[in-house]
Amino acid sequence: MSTGRTFAILALFSSCCHVATAPASGPAAMSPGQQQEAVFLDALSIPSPGEVFAAMNRACRPNWATLVTPATAPVTTDRTQLALAVGVLSANGYTAIDAQDGQQVKNVGREIMNVAKALGVSQSLLGRGNSLIEFADNNAWDALADELEATENEVKLTMVEQKDRDLVTLTSAAAWLRGLDVASGIVLANEDLKGASLLRQPELARHLASRLRELPPRIQRGSLVSGVGRSLESIAAILEIPDPAKEQDRENLQKIHEAAASIVKEILTSASAAAPAAAPSPSSSPKP
Amino acid sequence: MRARALALTLLTPLILSAGLGSASLNAAPGQQTVSMSRQGAAPGLTPSPSNPALPVPTESRRLALETAGAFINDGFHVRDGEWSVRLEKGAPAFLQVTLFEGNKYWFVVASTTPGVRLRVTLHDAAGKPLSGEVWHDERATGGSRAAAGVAPGRSGKYFVGVELLDSPSGAPVDTCLVSAYK
Repeated sequence: MSTGRTFAILALFSSCCHVATAPASGPAAMSPGQQQEAVFLDALSIPSPGEVFAAMNRACRPNWATLVTPATAPVTTDRTQLALAVGVLSANGYTAIDAQDGQQVKNVGREIMNVAKALGVSQSLLGRGNSLIEFADNNAWDALADELEATENEVKLTMVEQKDRDLVTLTSAAAWLRGLDVASGIVLANEDLKGASLLRQPELARHLASRLRELPPRIQRGSLVSGVGRSLESIAAILEIPDPAKEQDRENLQKIHEAAASIVKEILTSASAAAPAAAPSPSSSPKP
Repeated sequence: MRARALALTLLTPLILSAGLGSASLNAAPGQQTVSMSRQGAAPGLTPSPSNPALPVPTESRRLALETAGAFINDGFHVRDGEWSVRLEKGAPAFLQVTLFEGNKYWFVVASTTPGVRLRVTLHDAAGKPLSGEVWHDERATGGSRAAAGVAPGRSGKYFVGVELLDSPSGAPVDTCLVSAYK
């Protein structure tokens, strides 16, 4: 059977597949116009927290179990905050998956469902919630990671269906910020700052910040959304500093971590407990 | 040798659909659960029977996901996103992505139009083409596919290009690109 299968594979390989290290005529360099007009898609252009964490795993083998945080969605009727919370919770789910903490994954799934219900998009997600629970019960970690991304995307798709396309940007930005919060904490915890190079994504931070600036005034009016925008701008400014010395690098990473952690905390704070959005702290401005 | 191994990985769905292999071929623990729990859906495909308002996946997407799904056996995660793009010969289209040093990536494009030649290219932040591993399959009766794989040397912004190299009818073709990472 095994020999037969191998033969079949080789036969198919030789009959219909072409593998080469380079095509007959190589691709041309992109023109500046092509670079400028390149498409940016939330679902593919923004790395998922799972993608960031996979790279972190190779760089410094974090102890994920110590990074799992309780999943609690904010109690609020503010749709912008709920959209931001979906992003944060989704990133928390990846942390729990990497920690192989099934109960916490289920808690995250439950909280995402609660937020989705508050957003009015829960009906389409019931199946996803059940799948998350089933995969968590079976320790199917790879499947959980896929399902979590699919769940987040389905919330976004339903937002679009409900003419809430602008909320999608908030969910993407919040997921990235929470991923950065976790990843920068991991890097700072090791003396050699292993994994720091993975965090240097200034273009992405700038892009997300500019997307937030383009949101309609009714959405930007909220202090939380403004705070997210300011955090992205300050993080982008720090990330754009070229080749900092090691000590400066640590200091900059600390500022990034504080900025990300602070806004994530605000996102998850219930409306009744929320204080007015803090002005950007002077310590968050970058040092060259 | 490595290229052959990649080709074999990519061929897994063909082999499975041809009935030449069992569903457990090269499957790691837990991976079988994925496809079974999704009732046969291609990995990464997100059918939403409970929400008919959501877009129905295109055939090109199904083909791209089926191809990319073969990488799951090699530890890759297929991202739950797609880029649907209509390609004309001589007019490549580009997608901006962020890639991480240490990760490996494959980008797969597919079209249900048979006989067309597709190509996936990878470029650094300055638009310079990167060398990597490429794969294409334009003789499949069910459509055409191409893929490019890369293990970036540094984290940052990159571009993925998709290109229609040849089309028997000369007409534009609808394609779909998906990606996988590990």
